[in-house]
Formats: sequence, structure tokens, C-alpha cells
Amino acid sequence: MAAVTRAEALQASATRGAITLDNVVKIYDPDRAAVMAVDHCSLDIRAGEICMIVGPSGCGKTTLLNAIAGFHEITSGQILLDGEVLCCSEKPKAEPGSDRIVVFQNGALFPWKTNLENVAFGPIMQGSLTKAGAKEKALEMMADAGLAGVEHNYPGEVSSGVRRRVEIVRALMNDPKVLLLDEPYRALDSLTKSVMHEALLEIYYKNRVTIFFITHDLEEAIFLGHRVAIMTTRPCKPKKILEVDIPHPRTYSVLTSKRFRELMEETTESVHEEALKAFDAGEKEG
Amino acid sequence: MPFQVVSDDLLRKVAALGRRVNYEKGALIYDVGDKADDIYIIVSGQVEHTLEPTAQARRPVKRLGAGDVFGWAALLEKFPHRLAKAVCEEATEIVRINGDHLLRTLETDPDAGDVVMSRFATMITRDYTVPDLIAQLRRIHRRMHASDIQGMDLTLFRFRQWIRSPRPYLMLMGFALFLGFWYLAVEVLKLPRFREMPGLTTVVKEWISPNPTYGLSIYTPEYYKHIGVSVWRVAQAFMLATLLGVPFGLFLGWSKKFKEYVFPVFELLRPIPVLAWVPLAIVMFIATESAVIYLTFLAAFFTTSLNTMLGVESIDESYVRAAYCLGARRWQVFLHVIAPGALPFIFTGLQISMGVSWFSLVAAEMVSGQYGLGYVINTSYTTVRYPTIFIGMITLGFVGYATSALVRLLGDYLMQWRTRELALGGQ
Repeated sequence: MAAVTRAEALQASATRGAITLDNVVKIYDPDRAAVMAVDHCSLDIRAGEICMIVGPSGCGKTTLLNAIAGFHEITSGQILLDGEVLCCSEKPKAEPGSDRIVVFQNGALFPWKTNLENVAFGPIMQGSLTKAGAKEKALEMMADAGLAGVEHNYPGEVSSGVRRRVEIVRALMNDPKVLLLDEPYRALDSLTKSVMHEALLEIYYKNRVTIFFITHDLEEAIFLGHRVAIMTTRPCKPKKILEVDIPHPRTYSVLTSKRFRELMEETTESVHEEALKAFDAGEKEG
Repeated sequence: MPFQVVSDDLLRKVAALGRRVNYEKGALIYDVGDKADDIYIIVSGQVEHTLEPTAQARRPVKRLGAGDVFGWAALLEKFPHRLAKAVCEEATEIVRINGDHLLRTLETDPDAGDVVMSRFATMITRDYTVPDLIAQLRRIHRRMHASDIQGMDLTLFRFRQWIRSPRPYLMLMGFALFLGFWYLAVEVLKLPRFREMPGLTTVVKEWISPNPTYGLSIYTPEYYKHIGVSVWRVAQAFMLATLLGVPFGLFLGWSKKFKEYVFPVFELLRPIPVLAWVPLAIVMFIATESAVIYLTFLAAFFTTSLNTMLGVESIDESYVRAAYCLGARRWQVFLHVIAPGALPFIFTGLQISMGVSWFSLVAAEMVSGQYGLGYVINTSYTTVRYPTIFIGMITLGFVGYATSALVRLLGDYLMQWRTRELALGGQ
């Protein structure tokens, strides 16, 4: 029980990392064939929560993530982080920065740097820590995340599960406000995935950050998230927002609980509906 | 199973560590959480082995019989305690081996030790169906696997692996077939078109003769003078091409604007063959030496630049984005992502560039100059010294091969991360 209250206290105390999406529109315009990827999408992501974004592949979820991270421009609307404007109509592209760190779909650890050098990369680049200081902190954080022993290996020498953990630790080294995860466990087999989910929660309970997590796996979404936003397919906007009232910290036993099954039943249909729409749209395009 | 096909010597050493122990039916060998010192090999009898739930085995319960190995937790660095419960289902005879002693013995023969440890790794994942002990499995490996080896040792490690593979013997076979064909075609069968060629024995005799008929063999100082001159020319041209071509290619790939200015001109000049540059080179450089180097440099420069540019363009956008996310500035991204990310392509380019250098050098030397292997071939042709042509050609082959190998070695050294992945993959 003590752990529950601690986790809840942490969430209550989280005061940074709130993202506001305010009527965000994104229109891709290749060859003047305007494709609306995101249509007046408004969504409040609370400070310190795990917000899961669920939608079929190609529905425009990643466009939202790219806009928050500062990789792409938006067409209109605005995005705020803790009340400060990241991007808006006048300044359509946000500056990428270490307050919002992306964990990529296929992983983006630098293969030419050891795991330790990867983790220490951020503070060294920003000049916030000396090289030695950054390495020391990296060693500590890796040990804390159960990654002792792989520090001096290259990412290519460890399993994909370990790589994902290293990448999350690399992000956390910079004390970000928000972690943006773009289907990070998509390529993993279901067994490894389950281990990764628990590892992610463990890291989350220790380092409270806002998590913006994109997935197409509803089970993953309900298991991890405080809230699950189910998105419509092209153009992308929230269709339904589900409050997951299963208390954190969670373990895998949640998956077999009655409440979990109820929530799955409640949402499966609307997700399926969108998947069908996406499929039909794909048929037409094809 | 992990000890199959290990040398008798090592097997005897391992066997010497074993202690035979008899258990009665129903005896508990160990339970979850016990201290893990020994590994166990069943001589006779039957054992039920149950992995604890947190190990996440797909099939936690396993029945083991004669020859099976268990208790491998003793070989995991981070698990000094048992992950399973093992109970005898009937009277069982077992050989126990202390894990630390076993590792120390295996380290006396690291190559065989490697094999044994990776067999343990396979056994744990496949037979014991433990999915995410991968991280810990790696730790077993790492006690003496390629990942601890750096620099030249790693190259030696790969060389030893190569020697033990069938590849060198296939290579020798290939050479034997090639030379055999030459010998048969020219000297035995006297095939049409081959009749006028000097045969294998003629060339070899001339090559190793202290008094060569046509004046050039491994005993004459000129032979080495020619090699030396050619190598020095290639070295200068290749260095210059690398020093200019790599940064040039990096900028081409990195800056869209720079590429738009420069690349069309570059692509226009690139297809012009070296021989077409000869007149211009002679006009531009009065001295033949610098003209030859200039011609050699040109071709190498185009190859190196183009490959470097492609290398930059091959870098996954995610790496660049990740670096910006982590707070890197533009020049830091160039230094830490673009340059190392392009290295594999750069070195592929450098190997091609080395080949191209030799190609252009010989062309240039045939046109002008008084020394060098290209000069040897050309003058031997005009003076009808056919065996000497072959000596020049074969020497070119050897020297070219050696310089390419040097470039490859340097690449291995600079790209430890790739070499180590390859070594782990047994290549």
C-alpha cells in the first residue's frame, strides 16, 4: 500500500509537463493535393500523467508527436507546454529541445557510441555537465534502471529490449518534462513487450515525467495509461477519451482483472470502427 | 550438451572439476533463492526442474534425464541465487561442477570456452524457454566474448575465426584452379589464343631467376624501384583524395544548398575517363611526376566524395532528430552523428577508391614516366618481353590487394562497433 500512496503523491505533486493541443490542424500539401492529417485536434495532457494515444496505423498520431517534438510544422492552431507556446500559426515549427524527448519507433541509439556514451550524450552536448560528470551520472542511472553490465557494449551487442531501456534512460538523463514515445515496443515479441511494460512503469514511478505514448495496441494502452485517447482516422482528432480508473502502480495481474476487461470491452468497438475506416480508406487509395 | 565437441584436453580438465553425488528419490537438490555455486550434470535418474514465476519461462516445468545439464544460474553474473527448484523423481546420480572453477578452466582456452558458453546461452533460451534472461545471458557471454576485445586484438580474433573456418581453404582451392587452368591452357593443351602467351612455369622461372632473361626479377633492384615508385605515387594521390574527398562528400550530403551549387558540376566531370584528362594534365603540370599523381588523384577523389555523400544520405533521420532532441547544436550533430554515421560508406568508398587509384596510376604511367609498374608493362610490350609483362601484372595484383587490405584494417579499427557486431555474429 505504501507504494500506491507514494505513486499517487508523486502524480499529485507533478506540476510540469502539461501539454495543451489547441485546435491543431495539419495539412500536407504534396502536389497541391491537400491531405488533412490532423483536423482541429484539441487535447489536454495533464502534468505527470501517462497519456496513451490509440489509433490505426497511418491515422496521423505521429504527425501530432512530430509537431510537439518540433520536427514538423503545423498548419494552424497552437501547442503549449506548461502554458508556454511551442508553436502556433505565426511560428509553425517548435524548436526541438531536451524538455521534450522522443523515443523512436525503431530506436535511435547511436550504434557508433557505447551504451554509456549514448546515455551521457545529452548533458555533454548541452554543456550542462562535464564529460566525466555526465558519465558518472549515466553509470548511476543505468545501474538504477537495472542496466549494470552493458555500459561498455555497443547497442548492436545487446537485445532489443535492453536497447529500449537504454534509450529511455538516455532521455531521462536530461530531466525532460515530457517523454514522447512513438510505438516503441512495436517490433518486440509479446513476451519481451510485457517485460518492457513493467520496466517502463518502474522507471516512471521513480522519475515522474509526462508520457505521451503512441500505440495501436489497445491492451497496451489501457494497461499503461492514466488516460487513453482514441483517435479518429485521417483526419486525426480525439474520438473518445477513456479514464483508466485502475490505480497505479500496476503489475501484470491487472490484465486479468475484471475492470480491465470491462474497459477493453467498452473501447474495443470504437477502435475497431476506426480501423475499418482506415482500411476502407486504404482500399480506395490503393 | 554444452560440452559436445570440445577438445579432449579441455574436456579432461572440466571432468577433473566434477564431483559425483548420489541423491535419493524425492530429495531436494536446491530451491528458489538458494545460493547458486554449482552446475549439475545428470549421469542417471530423473529430476523435475521448476523455474520460479518471475523468470517468465514459457514452460516453467521441465523433466530432466541422463545427460541433461541444469543449475546454470551458477554461471549468471547477476544471479548468485537459484531461479528454480530441482527435485529428484527417482534415485539420481549427478556430477556437480563449481561454476567459478568451470569459468576459470574455460578461460584457459578462451576459444573453446566461447563455444561452451554460447551453447549454454542457447540451452537456456531454447530448452528452458526463458525469454528475457537475454540481458543476463549476454553477461555470460561477455566474460570472454568478443565484446571485451579492442583494436588489434579484435582483428586477430577475427583472423583466428577466419583460419578456423573453411573459407581459407576454399580460397586456396580457387587459386589452385586458376593457376592450374593457366598452366594447362598454355603449356599442356596449347589452346588457340593461349598459345602465344607465356606459360605459368616460364613466368615463375623468370620471376625468381637471379639472372633474368629479360632483365627483371625479384633479384634485380629495379624491380623494387618500380614497386616503390608506384606505391609512393598511389599513396600520395590516395591520401590527397581522402583528405579532400571525405570532407567534401560530408558537406555535399549535409548541406542541401552546397549540393545544389556543386553537385551538377561534379556529376558532369565524374564520368570523364582518366585517359581523357591526360593531355590537360600534361599541359597543367610540366613535371611528369605531378601529372601522374594528379591523374591518379582525380579518379580516387570522385569515388571517395560520392560514397561519402551517399553515406551521409543513408543515415536514418531518427539519429539526427534524436541528437537535436538531446540538445545538440548543428555542428555537434555534424561531428557526432553525420561523420560517424557515414563511416561505413566512407570505407566502402575508400576501398573502391584504392582500386581506382591503381587503375588510373597504371594508365597514367603507361602514358608518361620512367618508373613504375605501369611503365614496366608498357615498355615490356613495346620491346616484346612478354614474361616481364606478366611479372608486372601479377605484382600489381599483389600490391593492390595489400593496399586494399590495409584500408580494410583501418576501417575495422575505426568502426569498432561494426567489427564487434560482426565478430559476435561469427564473421
